[in-house]
Amino acid sequence: MRAPALRALGLLTGWGNGAAAVPADARRAADGRAVLSLGRPHREGERWRRATREGLLALAAVEAALDDAGAGREAIAGERTALVYVTAAAYVPSNHRFIEGRGGSIHFAETAPAVVPAEVAIELGLSGPYSIFIGGPPATLRAIAHAARLLDQGAADRALVLAVEIFEECADLYARSRRLMDAPLVEAAACLWLEPGRGELSVGPPAADEPANHGAGATIAVRRRRSEPSRARGLGETFSVEPLVYLDEWRQGSALGTLELTGRWRSEVLRLVWTEVMASGSSPQPAPSTAAASQEAT
Amino acid sequence: MTRAPRTERIAIELAGVVTPIGQDLEAFWSALVTGASGISQIERFPVSDLRVGRGGEIKKLARIKSWGRVPECRATRLLVSAADEILAHGGLDAVAPDRLAVVVGTALGGVEEGEKALAGDRRRRRRDALYDAPGHNLARWLGCRGPVITVSTACASGATAMAVGADLLRTGEADAVVAGGYDVLCRFVMRGFNALRALAHDDVRPFDRRRSGILLGEAAALVVLRRDGEGTGARLGTLLGYGSASDASHISAPDPAGLGLERAVRAALLEAGVGADRIDFVSAHGTGTPLNDPIEAAVIRRVLGGRADSVPVNSIKPGLGHTMGAAAVLEALMCLLASSRGVIPPTLHLDEPDAGCELDHVRGSARPARPRLCLSTSLGFGGSNAALVLEGAS
Repeated sequence: MRAPALRALGLLTGWGNGAAAVPADARRAADGRAVLSLGRPHREGERWRRATREGLLALAAVEAALDDAGAGREAIAGERTALVYVTAAAYVPSNHRFIEGRGGSIHFAETAPAVVPAEVAIELGLSGPYSIFIGGPPATLRAIAHAARLLDQGAADRALVLAVEIFEECADLYARSRRLMDAPLVEAAACLWLEPGRGELSVGPPAADEPANHGAGATIAVRRRRSEPSRARGLGETFSVEPLVYLDEWRQGSALGTLELTGRWRSEVLRLVWTEVMASGSSPQPAPSTAAASQEAT
Repeated sequence: MTRAPRTERIAIELAGVVTPIGQDLEAFWSALVTGASGISQIERFPVSDLRVGRGGEIKKLARIKSWGRVPECRATRLLVSAADEILAHGGLDAVAPDRLAVVVGTALGGVEEGEKALAGDRRRRRRDALYDAPGHNLARWLGCRGPVITVSTACASGATAMAVGADLLRTGEADAVVAGGYDVLCRFVMRGFNALRALAHDDVRPFDRRRSGILLGEAAALVVLRRDGEGTGARLGTLLGYGSASDASHISAPDPAGLGLERAVRAALLEAGVGADRIDFVSAHGTGTPLNDPIEAAVIRRVLGGRADSVPVNSIKPGLGHTMGAAAVLEALMCLLASSRGVIPPTLHLDEPDAGCELDHVRGSARPARPRLCLSTSLGFGGSNAALVLEGAS
């Protein structure tokens, strides 16, 4: 299928803003912390007082993408913008809170994954096609492919692929899961702004001779060129956001050649191959230096 | 009006369902046509503290006698029960495991597992509480080694799953897709809708003057999708088009003007290459809430134009309850069966159509008709709107 072109990318992680903030060795950098939190973005207004943290972070990620593009909200408002949301577990804290009756005030609708992109859509006036994928890195790669298809069909003029993961509220639950104890859980939110492009994009299982498992859980490998070996990186666990971290890292480098992203989650391994990622005439932008919304530590 | 379709037609070959009104496709269809109701007092978990304790509960999963290594997760077991009907018809016999995909839609995933684990039930696996767990459990049970995808566009999830499954066929990622939706009736969701005061105190009455809300139900519904012209030759019908649009209006209430739903419907018609003047039947979301029904009726009226008074419309939620992630798939199957069997099931409990909800409602009893092209609409939390355009096999 025809590949989209990358217009902008906003990335917020518990390490800081943009891939440049990601350390070389997550475990060492975490220094014993089990969760690297993104905190709760502060927004004025009654509408946001009871909003979930995942909804606020989703909006902050889209605003970071707008900053990256040097564009205002009007550039994406309306029915010609598709919104594709992906998460593995951002809804868990809201579900948990509702089950336990904590706070007593969570709106039941806020437990639904669908409400996270809805908060973004309402705030920014995004009324185009939408979809929501649940899962880890393969779900994100599929979300990119889904966005590419919407653009290729002419169903939208631009597409936002939005991924959010939070962990802090349920750190104790994750701590009981032995599989995830090796790496810190790194909260993250990212938004990819895609427009129609000229390259080729495909998703599918990796070739038989390619290592199927690059590490525990949601680890992903990125290759700048087909000939380069895959390499895993000590980012920590960011579940669905991970491919977008590597994509940001890639564009901060040479951003040349074919981008390959391989993601693993549960039993599935998926590879995305994407040519001509950058729009012609565009050059990689520096990493966003500021989050769109100020954050306060929780 | 006929236009060139934007995408390849996708065959819907077989289906398997488990619902409160029947645990296979034939039983489900018979109950729809005869107007049977699956609404009862909920027995599986405590409801005495809730204002409403009724719903479309499946009292006993009857298809499978031995669960073997299938997890104790009810959502998984609903899916496996539905898939068992497909396997019983040999629907996947010739499909290589790595060319088979599973795509399921859900509003709640495995949340009941989380609910039970937090209550101290040590048999529950916390990872089964993630929304994509039941889909992966189903894939494992089927021996599927191709793509496994979970989508969650709230109560429009089933429609989204069918569309994403169709895309896997169009891009060549799979040769057959088991696509569908599911959700379980559990305390989590009952408490939620109870808090929203959205549950009906008596019957669910879509489009009726006395409508007071929804009742929830549980179900799983799966279909086997294939590229047109491939597969076994069995066919329930064809998926022609899908459209989605966000309301960008409110997190839990529909857009008062229904603009998002209208965009979704028009996008589905465009993808199908079908003009609204060719639609023979509309399966409405028809929840029976005071807000939803007049908005939806107005959208149907705008889309159908002058034919709005002569195109039959129904809602099957009164007898099933709102089955959330399964709803759109069950409604799509109802459309296809109506086409092949030559009869449209009625909307139960629709006695006095409300002012503002006037359409050609099928009510009282089933109506003889053989609709070929059908439109099915879905709405959900977050301003999720989806529409399917389907062609019956008649």
